[in-house]
Amino acid sequence: MPDVDVLVVGAGPAGAVAALCAKQAARELDVVLLERDMAVGSPVRCAEGVGDAGLREFANPDGADWVSRRITDVIFQAPDDTEVVLANSGLGWILDRTRFDAYLAAQAAAEGACVLVGAEATAMSRNGDGRWHVRVKQRGRADDVYRARVVIGADGVETMVGRWAGLDTRVPARDMESCAQYVLQGIDFNPDAIYLQFSDAIAPGGYAWIFPKGVGVANVGLGLVSLKSDGRNARQYLDAWVARRFPTGTRTGHTVGGVIVHTTIKKTYTDGVLVAGDAAHMINPLSGGGINNAMKAGRLAGCTAATAIRANDTSERRFSSYHKAWMDMLGEDHVTYYRIKQALEHMDDAFLNSLARTVNKIPPDKRTLGRVFAHALIRHPQLIPVAARFFV
Amino acid sequence: MRRVTPDTIAVVDLAVCDRCGLCLPLCPPEAIHLELNILTVDDAACTGCEKCVGPCPVGALAMAPPVYA
Repeated sequence: MPDVDVLVVGAGPAGAVAALCAKQAARELDVVLLERDMAVGSPVRCAEGVGDAGLREFANPDGADWVSRRITDVIFQAPDDTEVVLANSGLGWILDRTRFDAYLAAQAAAEGACVLVGAEATAMSRNGDGRWHVRVKQRGRADDVYRARVVIGADGVETMVGRWAGLDTRVPARDMESCAQYVLQGIDFNPDAIYLQFSDAIAPGGYAWIFPKGVGVANVGLGLVSLKSDGRNARQYLDAWVARRFPTGTRTGHTVGGVIVHTTIKKTYTDGVLVAGDAAHMINPLSGGGINNAMKAGRLAGCTAATAIRANDTSERRFSSYHKAWMDMLGEDHVTYYRIKQALEHMDDAFLNSLARTVNKIPPDKRTLGRVFAHALIRHPQLIPVAARFFV
Repeated sequence: MRRVTPDTIAVVDLAVCDRCGLCLPLCPPEAIHLELNILTVDDAACTGCEKCVGPCPVGALAMAPPVYA
């Protein structure tokens, strides 16, 4: 029965950064990072896009082998395929998540964390000794029970650690985006731009995307809210979109998954437990972006756990500071984005088509997201109170 | 309080399921489990609410009459 100080469940961006930062904050601690799958970073369940500034807080993308593509432009597409190229939309990257996740886990290992692949946490309970007992299955050997002073749940959308710890991690159906994606080869698009297409007919309640992985190669996918669908599932919507847009593309990969477009769960902590990343619904509900959010939460969780163990106080009371720090840093912003998302649901396809044409009359170098939004406000006054909260 | 037995409960087609885990947080009674890469629905806990069926990206979940052992 191994005794550890910090047990991190899930070796995605949140978990790897949590393990790394826990070790950096308190080198004497035993930190174990568990990955259920046989390799860190696989299978990829992600469109792999990430903003430059947030990424650089954790890793330098210049020349890195875990980057697929540098992105300079954002192109919005109206339901009728009218394109709106946005100016000054900021630098971004399309990652190679298989390599990126492995890179982060290797950083944690280099700091002295123990990384275990093919190791699945299957149950967890609080014991009289003040530690969490976590049952871990590894293929070909008897179950282990890890006794941990702090468990960090970075186990993604399933969020079992949160569930075992008694936190409410459930999601209403309206806040779950069902996503499907292909890797398409031999298709024609601008490889320096990401494309986002909004349409109730293509991806109701969400959007469809093209995220370049190279010249002629891209992650092509979509996310939708099934309550708004016409009865087809996400993969069927994607097949229809791809058949229309890229009938000659070759599919060399496919994935599906859920993106929680909600706000952070009400309570991300309890005695000896912190939950981070997708597992705590720490996702930008407007964009569905989660990688940078996960790393920032992982850093907070790792540091909080390490300093708490040093102070010999891993109580719920102390851990409430983690939740507050997250809400101050990004959680409150996500609440605002969630309100904007709700307001944007009033835009139907006819409106989006006319908005795209109006916005294209603005000179390209002045066509910023702010100006696009301003035009939308003129036509849809019900957005004004939301915009006021956002911009003022 | 006696639990009302639903007419139909969720069943998973493992040949279609991609093990993405999307359905787990959607389940109000937390009756869906994913362990060792196998998705299972706890027949006794499923209330037949169908909240997991529509969102499945590949259509691996459907409703069917329960077969209690």
